[in-house]
Amino acid sequence: MAEIQKSWRDGALRLSTLPLLLLMGLFFVIPLIMTALLSFQGTQYYRLVWTWDLKVWTDVFSQVHYWTIMWRTLMMALVCTVLCTILAIPIAYGMLHRLSRWSDHITLLMVFAFLTDAVLKTFGWVLFLDRSGVLNGTLEAIGFPPAAVNVLFTPNATMIGMVYNLLPYTIFTIALSMARIDGDLVLAARDAGASRLRAFIEVTLPLAKPGIWAGAVLVFVLSLGVFLEPKVMGGGTSPLAAELIRQSFETRVNWPLGAALTLVLIVIGAAALTVAGAVALWQARRVVND
Amino acid sequence: MTDRMEKRIADVLLYGSVFAALIFFYIPIATLVLFSFTKSRFLSWPIPEFSTRWYGELLADRDFWSALGNSALLAVLATVFATLLGIGGAFAWSRYKFRFQWGFRILTFAPLLFPQLLLGVVMLLWFSVLAGWLNMSPGLWSAVIGHVIYITPFCIVIISVQMQGYDNTLDYAAEDAGATRWQILREITLPLIWPGIFSAAIFAFLLSWGNFYITYSLSGSTRTLPTFVFSGIAVGSSPIYPALATLTFIPALVLIFAVDRLRKRAARRRLSAIAES
Amino acid sequence: MVSPIIKATGIDKYYGTYRALTDISLEVANGEFLALVGPSGCGKTTLLKILAGFEDLSAGSLVIDGEDMTEIPASARPTRMVFQKLALFPHKTVAQNIGFPLHLAKRPKPEIDAAVRRMLELMHLKESYLNRYPHELSGGEQQRVALARSMVSQPPVLLLDEPMSALDAKLKKSLQAELKHLHRHVGTSFVHVTHDLEEAMMLADRICVMRAGKIVQLGEPSEIYYRPANAFVAGFIGDTNLLPAKVTREGDAFRFACDVLDCANPIIAADQVAPGVAAGADAALMIRPEMLRLLAQGESADCTISGTVNEFFIRGASIQYRIAAAETEIVMDIPGTSTLPAKQGDPVKLGLALGDLFAVEA
Ligand SMILES: Nc1ncnc2c1ncn2[C@@H]1O[C@H](COP(=O)(O)OP(=O)(O)O)[C@@H](O)[C@H]1O
Ligand SMILES: [Mg+2]
Repeated sequence: MAEIQKSWRDGALRLSTLPLLLLMGLFFVIPLIMTALLSFQGTQYYRLVWTWDLKVWTDVFSQVHYWTIMWRTLMMALVCTVLCTILAIPIAYGMLHRLSRWSDHITLLMVFAFLTDAVLKTFGWVLFLDRSGVLNGTLEAIGFPPAAVNVLFTPNATMIGMVYNLLPYTIFTIALSMARIDGDLVLAARDAGASRLRAFIEVTLPLAKPGIWAGAVLVFVLSLGVFLEPKVMGGGTSPLAAELIRQSFETRVNWPLGAALTLVLIVIGAAALTVAGAVALWQARRVVND
Repeated sequence: MTDRMEKRIADVLLYGSVFAALIFFYIPIATLVLFSFTKSRFLSWPIPEFSTRWYGELLADRDFWSALGNSALLAVLATVFATLLGIGGAFAWSRYKFRFQWGFRILTFAPLLFPQLLLGVVMLLWFSVLAGWLNMSPGLWSAVIGHVIYITPFCIVIISVQMQGYDNTLDYAAEDAGATRWQILREITLPLIWPGIFSAAIFAFLLSWGNFYITYSLSGSTRTLPTFVFSGIAVGSSPIYPALATLTFIPALVLIFAVDRLRKRAARRRLSAIAES
Repeated sequence: MVSPIIKATGIDKYYGTYRALTDISLEVANGEFLALVGPSGCGKTTLLKILAGFEDLSAGSLVIDGEDMTEIPASARPTRMVFQKLALFPHKTVAQNIGFPLHLAKRPKPEIDAAVRRMLELMHLKESYLNRYPHELSGGEQQRVALARSMVSQPPVLLLDEPMSALDAKLKKSLQAELKHLHRHVGTSFVHVTHDLEEAMMLADRICVMRAGKIVQLGEPSEIYYRPANAFVAGFIGDTNLLPAKVTREGDAFRFACDVLDCANPIIAADQVAPGVAAGADAALMIRPEMLRLLAQGESADCTISGTVNEFFIRGASIQYRIAAAETEIVMDIPGTSTLPAKQGDPVKLGLALGDLFAVEA
């Protein structure tokens, strides 16, 4: 598809971009800038005061408590990313190559699950994992001791919830890039003497790399901001960054602190994106040079 | 390892993981559906007796109806705006070439890469300021804006995918036949990308319908279904929530399958047209 | 020429700093069939797009049907285009595709129906196709629908951008014949782009040969074939022999010297030398393969070439010989026979008439 060159004087280009740009500018860019500015203010008696100093920031950097939570968030995000990626690869591949006749229906089922209200799904998990929930009830019925699985309200439950809510992203991006691989390439590798596994490792995986990367990055960034899972499934025992931020705004009514913590999280996410982008670019260049 | 054995192992692994994934995805959903039919007021397993009692209770709950109304209004408004902006955005993303296109792409895609809660929080700060100036408090209007910001990138992606492989000479051919710009859009381009627009609209509707994070941050004291459930289960669980879940699954499923039917019909026609030429 | 339907004067076209067309001046007579020929990338499509109104011109002027086209958008021009990839609308039926220009012009439905049926008949398409979608037709049928769509509103000018390049050889031949027939029948002016000079010669009243954005030669097919403006035009069709030679003026005529040719009296008339050839400079003698014949023992000709057969190809109507002679390879086509006159390695003597020679710039 050839793109059509447009100048900014063109009416069609303006009509298709300006409303969107205006909206994004007004309600996305300005709020971001405001958040940054807000982090240099202070609070007194639950009210914002325009102090223009670094007090909040020195506070943020000197309190170990914040960084423990940030660190925990980062680790949870990393584990979640790795799990989602590893799990998604065989699922995506199996959907395309073993259940190809049903892949449309499977995709639909997954899309439905994905689009369902996250609060309800999380609540469903609670009912399932509860001490007297479906899982333990069923286990007990077949002879296990009561409450055999005691995972609810632990970080593990949080992780189950995170993987549950974010796994679709990696499945969809990986399946998308795998579907674009020319099947003859795999046949060529098999023809050249590669075993199935070898052909998968030598051909399919490298060619699916863009999708794997995209999915992983998406999951990582989104998992930095999870809030429902640690609160509802994790029972609030080991809060993550989003909960901390929400508390600073709502419970402590300390907007500058909340803004600063928000920025810290955004910076971590942006750094991950930058690194991933750089790696992707570097790899693309290496492929071209080869 | 012999080839046969390798295939056997791969089969088990691949079939197994797809089925496991489906089961995994439907565990909480099935659990909710099951519990919605309990008679007891406690959500513990096994279910002692089945009934539709909680559906009745739910339907008698006035907060439920107002949350339902708010959810619908919010979703409809967000869908209309996000889809319209998404159409324009998709043209600019994938059919046009212009100066600062990369800037445009990054800016319009960024909300998708933002943790939703942060998106909500950051916007809330600004809306509180705006609300102070304009003398109105955050409510449905700010939630609509938040949803549009969050959902439009999805719409752009879906419609752009439909535009892949769109043959520009069709536009030229129409222009050559005497069509004005507006006629080209109405007669040629929109009908051809219509399945993408429709899918985007349905996707937008469901994303907005089920959205918790942004609504939670931005809707002020207005409750939608997700925030209604959230505040409900924070107080104490009740079987009306599984009933609510089950009720809302049905239209969503219908919508998703409708999109799929439409998309496939259009794809068949287009693919074979491409294969021939 | 009565007032031309298209009159292009001094057209230049730049894409950024890249000059795609240079000083194109061209007139197309009413009802004429003009072919634009040239290698890929020489600017044929660009010129066609300028005529159709899809590209602005950087300099020069364009008048179509007596009207200046500068300010007139593609949709309002008296031209219709048949696109290289046909550009049939996949979501419209054959009837809707063909009737589209009339539909846009808001003609009444019965009129559109009648016009569509008329086109269907003219294009030898079955009536049962009317409600089919383009993808339900074969390549040749799609081609006809595309033609029908461009012709339905009886435009004064039809522009065709290599509409046959995607078809197989046999289908191409039959569609070429139909196109020629159609042109005679409707009286529309055709501007037909092709990179195939053979197709151009078969179809066109006049041929415009382009190279690197410039017109190299504009003339009737026989002129292009027998009196090419230079070695580029001469070499553009088939396997032409171009032998290096020196040409000097001698009275009204020219004398030539060529190592490969053995001539008793190497003199050719002034009209056998292309205008650009400078006396004394390097030139090339063009010999079309079918002008050579195989000399029997003791037979003579104005000029002869001696050599040995490298290879031969039996092509049905003709047999092509490739003959090694004085460090070049000569190509000769003779009428096909069931008994081969010479085989690989045979020494042969070829003859040709002086009148068949033509000298071009080297
Ligand atoms: N939109 C464009 N932008 C820049 N260069 C172009 C554009 N269209 C064509 N060209 C260049 O102009 C030249 C002529 O192209 P074209 O008219 O398509 O050639 P032809 O049809 O004879 O093969 C080519 O070198 C091509 O690369
Ligand atoms: Mg071309």
